[in-house]
Amino acid sequence: MKLHLKKHWRIWLLALFMVMSTVALFAPIGGEGGILGPADDDENAAGSQYTNLQFGLELSGGTQVRAPFVGMTVSGLEFEPDEESEIESVLQEELRLSSGDVRADFEEQSVEVFDDSEVGNTTRADFAAALRAAGFDTTESDVRMGVTADTRAGVEDVLNERLRERGLGGGTASQVSAPGQQFMVVEVPGANRTEVINLIGDRGQVEIWALYPGENNTYETQSLLDQSDLADIGQAQQQEGDTFVPIRLNEQAGARFGDAMRANGFDEQGGTQCAYDLERSLDENMDDNPGRCLLTVLDGEVVFAAGIAPDLASSFASGAFDESPSYRTTTTSFEDARELEINMRAGALRTELDIENRGTTFFLLPSLAEQFKPLSLLTGATAVLAVAFMVFLRYRKPEVAAPMLLTAAAEVYILLGFAAAVGLPLDLSHIAGFIAVIGTGVDDLVIIADEIMQQGDVRTSKVFESRFRKAFWVIGAAAATTIIAMSPLAVLSLGDLQGFAIVTIVGVLIGVLITRPAYGDILRILVLGDKR
Amino acid sequence: MDASVPKVDYTEYTNRQLVVIPLGLLAVALGILAVATVVTGTPVALGIEFTGGTEMQVVTTDSPAEIEATFDGEVQSITPIAGQANTYQLTFQADDADPIIEQAEAADYEIESVGERSASFAADSQRQALLGLAIAFAGMALLVALMFRTFVPSLAVIASAFSDIMIPLALMRLFNIELTLGTVAALLMLIGYSVDSDLLLNNHILRRHGDFYTSTFRAMRTGVTMTVTSIAAMVVMTVVAYLLGIPLLPDVGLILVFGLLADLMNTYLLNVSLLRYYKYEGIAK
Repeated sequence: MKLHLKKHWRIWLLALFMVMSTVALFAPIGGEGGILGPADDDENAAGSQYTNLQFGLELSGGTQVRAPFVGMTVSGLEFEPDEESEIESVLQEELRLSSGDVRADFEEQSVEVFDDSEVGNTTRADFAAALRAAGFDTTESDVRMGVTADTRAGVEDVLNERLRERGLGGGTASQVSAPGQQFMVVEVPGANRTEVINLIGDRGQVEIWALYPGENNTYETQSLLDQSDLADIGQAQQQEGDTFVPIRLNEQAGARFGDAMRANGFDEQGGTQCAYDLERSLDENMDDNPGRCLLTVLDGEVVFAAGIAPDLASSFASGAFDESPSYRTTTTSFEDARELEINMRAGALRTELDIENRGTTFFLLPSLAEQFKPLSLLTGATAVLAVAFMVFLRYRKPEVAAPMLLTAAAEVYILLGFAAAVGLPLDLSHIAGFIAVIGTGVDDLVIIADEIMQQGDVRTSKVFESRFRKAFWVIGAAAATTIIAMSPLAVLSLGDLQGFAIVTIVGVLIGVLITRPAYGDILRILVLGDKR
Repeated sequence: MDASVPKVDYTEYTNRQLVVIPLGLLAVALGILAVATVVTGTPVALGIEFTGGTEMQVVTTDSPAEIEATFDGEVQSITPIAGQANTYQLTFQADDADPIIEQAEAADYEIESVGERSASFAADSQRQALLGLAIAFAGMALLVALMFRTFVPSLAVIASAFSDIMIPLALMRLFNIELTLGTVAALLMLIGYSVDSDLLLNNHILRRHGDFYTSTFRAMRTGVTMTVTSIAAMVVMTVVAYLLGIPLLPDVGLILVFGLLADLMNTYLLNVSLLRYYKYEGIAK
């Protein structure tokens, strides 16, 4: 039997796609990882060891958190770059928010607050009123829930950085938008829920404060440093019972820090003694004469306090510190040191995610999820066997039924190749989609078979092509309706359903354009004895 | 076993006789949904994806009554998972999972999965899913109308697709299957499957030469094979996935079985009689 390139081009096209799919599935090119990190994340990696397929949470286990951003935005305002800080301070005053919770951006001509009625106390009406106080003509209906695109992108970057730093390979944070709302979806294969929420739930604003007795011996605090002042951050370390993160400040911050130390008596010989009690509040400590301390503050909460070691104090005094501004931020445990390091490196989130009130979380035990992989394969296989049985009953001709099954299988194979090529993480919803595709596929193959094998000869190409076209009208029309029916889901953000819709649409396209036409050609050769 | 598709002699029945069964069933389905809406507030029971709440799968040797006592808050449902001994699916109305997880851990339950969905998010999902279904249906209807450009044949396809969705919804209510994202997917898939056989029938009757009954029989031979094959595949998938304890797939499968059965009836009773009316009376006028 010879396959003519021109006459049987449909079969050749199918073969080409089968080869491409094989390459996408098994070739070790660029596949290892895909969206995964480097190879040392093997333990957490959600990929398969045999193929380039990626598996989603439902088939690999792990945690997914999906939550909106805390904040409100008013855009389309008109102000100059030098007005930014004035607007911010008016809003801070009016809404009683801290400086980190208000942001005016000239580039986007927008003002946002990172507080809303769900998390915090600021309502849309409050925000509009505060903007009126700042001289804008804003009404409540101008206030949009959510934050600017710039802020969202920033949060996405920081979260991804945190996941990388924590070594949660394969974990990803990505933005998803639904009509009128934007969400952040964080998926971490292999991780449990608490671990993930702890990692992404906090703003992670690290500051270093100085605590010292001022006039009349009442204690004062001064914020000296935050993440942006650090030039270099070392690895969290443990040495002789001390756990710490070595840091080096950039030049300006070094000089500013040295000045502040000298101005407030931190340069006294022999260092300073610090009696700060972490169990008690800052105010209580300030009433209790704690001595001069450097406080490490995470999201406004004092997490560590220490005095100044003698050699560091003398380097403040001599000004040597200003030249080479590095020191160790000490912590209570190695775990804390690690967290501090990650926060320093990844930077702070401009706003938080509201997981508690408006979020969803999902956790699936990895060992259970692992079982779903072979089991869902088995389910799919039995469904195919059922189809095979029915088709044999109806046609009683292996040369009609066998290619039908092979074609349906080829469709799934190409679809899997597509999933591997684009790095689509497979979930149960995708498996349901695969089964849907097999279903519509077999329907179409039955239509083709019945149409082509109706009574009368198919000796000439003309007759064959005419019958093929007739069959194709129904197939094409049905495919178009399926695609139309699925397309809203591919766009709407309904989690699971999006994957299902995408697989079904792509599967139907592959079927209609590649595999199902090829079946027509195969039938022509096998059944109609067309050997020419 | 004879696998050939039976030949129905449609000439023996009037259009009115043919239409009465599908329309009657559709009316019953709509009635069930209407009553359910009045009584419970929603036409079908909603899963936590659409109501908010917490869903947890645990492994424990405790009995359901003991499980109930383990948690402070009310446990909305406790369902054993088929195929896995001592495994239960628990649902809670509370949408804060933390205390529930703590209590489960304190009782030494092994937590296999936890899903938590806040009420406001769930309300959004509900709106979006409804919107998705509506757009999908409208898109399908528009496309069908464009393809046939005549009223009765388009109506025949659209009406049977509508009924193919409503009957499974009513059955969901009767069997108490919750509407989840998976079952919404199945309902959407039904739009595609349902239109398949209707298009085939319309195509054979309207676009081919030959007598009405011969065309109908040819379309039926192909169409019934298609639908029955799909039903077989879905029955097998439902049973196997249920026995193996795989979530999502049994619900999807069952809804499709309902819908495809409804489709057999709607295509070959409702659609056929509408087309016969169109062919013999609609055009003649």
